[in-house]
Amino acid sequence: MKKVIYKTENLSKSFSSGGAMQHVLKNIDLELYQGDFTVIMGASGAGKSTLLYALSGMDTPTLGAITFGGQVISNLNQDGLSIFRREHCGFVFQQIYLIDSMSVLDNVLCAGLLASKDKKALLRRARELFQAVGISEETQRKFPTQISGGEAQRVGIVRALINSPEILFADEPTGALNSKTGLDVLDTLTKFNEQGQSVVMVTHDMRSARRGSRILYLKDGAILGECNLGRYVRGDEKRHKKLSAFLVEMGW
Amino acid sequence: MRKSLFLVRANLRKAKGQTMAEIVLILLAAGMMNLWLMLSFDYKQNFDRWHQRLNAEHVTACVENSGAALGQSAATDDAGERKETISEILKKDARTSEFCMDDVMCAEGKITYNGGEAASNFIMMKKGDAEKRLVGKAEILEDGGLEEGIYLPMIYKTGDIAVGKPVELTIGNHKASYLVCGFFNSVMAGSHNCSMFEILMTDQAYQDLEGKGYAAGAVLVSVRISDKAESEEFENMLNHEISARYPGTVLASNSYALVSQSRYISQMICSGVISAMAFFVLLIVLAVVSSNIIHYIQENMKNLGVWKALGYQSRQLMGMLLLQFLGITLFASLLGVLLSWLLFPGINEMMVSQTGIPYKIHILPAPLCVTLAVLSGAVALTVWLSARRIRKIPPIDALRQGIQTHSFRRNHVPLDKTRLPLQLALSLKTTLSGMKYNLTICVTMLVLSLILVFSGLMLENVIVDITPFLNLVAGETADVCININADAKTEFLQEMEMDSRVEKVYLYHSQIVGHVGGAELVAAICDDFSQVNNKEVVIEGRFPEFDNEAAVAAKYARDHGYGIGDEIRLNLGEREADYIISGFTQISNNLGKDCLLTQEGFERMGRLSNLSYYINLSKDAKADDFNQEIIRRLGENVNKTQNMLKVIYAMSTVYISLMKVIVAAILFLSITIIAFVMYLLVRAMLGSKKKEYGILKSLGFTTPQLMVQTALSFMPAVTGSAALGLLASCFVINPLTAVFLRNLGIVTCTFHIPVGFVIASGLGLVLFAFGAACLMSFRIRKIEPRSLLTNE
Repeated sequence: MKKVIYKTENLSKSFSSGGAMQHVLKNIDLELYQGDFTVIMGASGAGKSTLLYALSGMDTPTLGAITFGGQVISNLNQDGLSIFRREHCGFVFQQIYLIDSMSVLDNVLCAGLLASKDKKALLRRARELFQAVGISEETQRKFPTQISGGEAQRVGIVRALINSPEILFADEPTGALNSKTGLDVLDTLTKFNEQGQSVVMVTHDMRSARRGSRILYLKDGAILGECNLGRYVRGDEKRHKKLSAFLVEMGW
Repeated sequence: MRKSLFLVRANLRKAKGQTMAEIVLILLAAGMMNLWLMLSFDYKQNFDRWHQRLNAEHVTACVENSGAALGQSAATDDAGERKETISEILKKDARTSEFCMDDVMCAEGKITYNGGEAASNFIMMKKGDAEKRLVGKAEILEDGGLEEGIYLPMIYKTGDIAVGKPVELTIGNHKASYLVCGFFNSVMAGSHNCSMFEILMTDQAYQDLEGKGYAAGAVLVSVRISDKAESEEFENMLNHEISARYPGTVLASNSYALVSQSRYISQMICSGVISAMAFFVLLIVLAVVSSNIIHYIQENMKNLGVWKALGYQSRQLMGMLLLQFLGITLFASLLGVLLSWLLFPGINEMMVSQTGIPYKIHILPAPLCVTLAVLSGAVALTVWLSARRIRKIPPIDALRQGIQTHSFRRNHVPLDKTRLPLQLALSLKTTLSGMKYNLTICVTMLVLSLILVFSGLMLENVIVDITPFLNLVAGETADVCININADAKTEFLQEMEMDSRVEKVYLYHSQIVGHVGGAELVAAICDDFSQVNNKEVVIEGRFPEFDNEAAVAAKYARDHGYGIGDEIRLNLGEREADYIISGFTQISNNLGKDCLLTQEGFERMGRLSNLSYYINLSKDAKADDFNQEIIRRLGENVNKTQNMLKVIYAMSTVYISLMKVIVAAILFLSITIIAFVMYLLVRAMLGSKKKEYGILKSLGFTTPQLMVQTALSFMPAVTGSAALGLLASCFVINPLTAVFLRNLGIVTCTFHIPVGFVIASGLGLVLFAFGAACLMSFRIRKIEPRSLLTNE
């Protein structure tokens, strides 16, 4: 029996646009499980990113509740959400968003030191993560503008994982990368998921979605369907066909 | 031009808050500059306008009728003969344009002023005569129409002295009470700062006083000369000639040069402080403008690239910035000028109460034009210098954001190595990577430190304890001053020796002497300079010890090229004597025209017919009672007594109230400036680091953490520059104050620097800056991490 880490009830999000209300998320009931690599797919404007913001505490829902590990996070204020993100979440952005004025190592430590006072343990963990994603010590001393996009996104993953978050959110993590570096990033995420890291990723790229163990398909702010693919195995054609069929069924 | 206007409008719409803050800072600078210019330019001209309107004299002399002409007995001398002689002297001198002589009464006297006493030579004359004078007439400004009484100069119109109220005057040693009929303006004899002041009397009051014999008959000589720049030399000549013909005649005189300055001491101090403040604030404005432009270029690199790609030329883009800032400057300057006009009536009232010369407020185009020109010119130059880098930006680089804002050569404060707490380490990183912010802060804090130290100096040396200021302004002070006939010297000194209330008594007599080939100097004659209370009168060298030595005003000596050890020739009437300069003095009351002589030294030129003794009394003794008792004991041998504390009080009240206003204004300005500068800097920082704040928020930093981090990032520059500024200001403040007071004859200031105040104000400055930065950083709460996801 998988452990539920996230639960949403009647999750709704609306925006006012030109005087009219736009309902982006509509009464979503959802459970996310520990250790899953959940992929959220959908056409542009389906509400997948909005769902990600709400789940990660970057944004608050208009209606409904989000529960994380028994704690309702949907009624937290901005600072409460900051602390929640710091303690429980990691985030990988499409645009990477490293801080240009800090070195690669400082970008990671900046996030780590916020949650942990044990600098030695933190440095040890940073070294392990950097090694795991293939970032050399020399690169760690460089500034974000001095490294490649792929390296930068891998640094972004290290930063997201430095505090050993219970869940890692990734918003189109390969969207700004070429196919080779994008693949490296997906391999990295897959590797950490295989080690037990829960991942929620938004993508519209089928190649990326294939890495997921559970695919949620959003349409017009509601979950239209879901597909369980199981653990990722490289070169598994059956898995690929199953996902293709699911997406065709969803109208992809 | 239309293209530039379009861009300007777009920029202004984007930065409303920043524009508002710039407007406030420029407004303050312009307001103060215009105030300073109005005070400096037109107040002096106002003096000249009144001088012309009343056909006032350039040299005034009051010659007592008591002395006898050489070769004549006093009995045969009369006012008519004296007038004839003086008339001959004046006609003989080609510089004389016109003159006028009137019979008056004169005596040393005192009047209640500002809760104390003002002492001077009273010139009493009939109101009708004074109004009809061809040269140096008085103009009645307020007339109660009372039948009998006196008219006083405007300066004495205070709460206690008003039309219809009685006023008590001390004339010589006699007290007399009169009803105040009104007030008048006399340019050259309308204040105790002129070395004489007129009191106009109704015919009856004049006759009564004449009958009482409290004051001596005299001739008031008012002379207009062809070149007012020679007024001092002419006064010297006139005194010299009259003294030569009538030795021993009591003579009070003044000149245009002396009066035009002495009546404006407060105004000079006030405008000096305001001008300094105006330039300091302007400096801050320029630093802020420069920082904003550099920031603008960095933040709008992409837009600049787009505009360049669309065909805008660098000069058009620079022109756009120039237009934008010049527009703001002109608008804010006009508001500032308007503000200064609104404040001016209040300041004018304060000034008029201290100069005694009415000033009619009117629009002054010259200060307005100068203010607009200086501010616009300075801002335009700063904009041009700061915006030059636009020329070096190729559009393609700009579009790619190719010019980065950070220097990556060094990782300031690496987090893996530092022992600092995270917040502090991140703040320090921001500090070290944001030098443009630091520069603006440094300029602001250095300037404010100097201003605060100055206000501390004034607080300590004027408001809390005015003694150091009075030592500088008034020269020697004691508890009482008693003027006696020289013949009664032995009897007087015996009385003093027997009186247990007397702690110290020494001769300190003021007498005008001439510098041969120069101006008249007020000589302070002392029998023993080791007894004087204010040893700071001599700022270089030493007091004179021997009869061939003199200490001379530093300003006068410097202006005339004299050094210590040089010889100076002085004269009293016909007799001249050479003196070796033993030291330099400064007594601002004499506007840098004074000297010190030993009694023996003075007697090489002549003898004193009366002697002024300064006396220090025991703590329990009451000066007024003591003076009355001395008058009772020595009778007619006492010419004048003075409770010096009362005189000092009257004098100090003026300066204390002026300084209170100045210090309050300085504190208000400092707070306003810090608040607005911090607003601008924090705003610029939030703008340029919006993405960074979003990232940090997404990582879990809370708004209060980021607020503190932001505020802390300014603190190294704030603390460092405040500490440096306060320390440096402590060293430069006295020389700088001396520069401001140079017109008063001050060349060196030795004011006590209030260390406690300096430390407290430094801490206050830093804490206020921190608080302001925290408050301004509150906008961070509006930065949402989700904006990163939507690429806002």
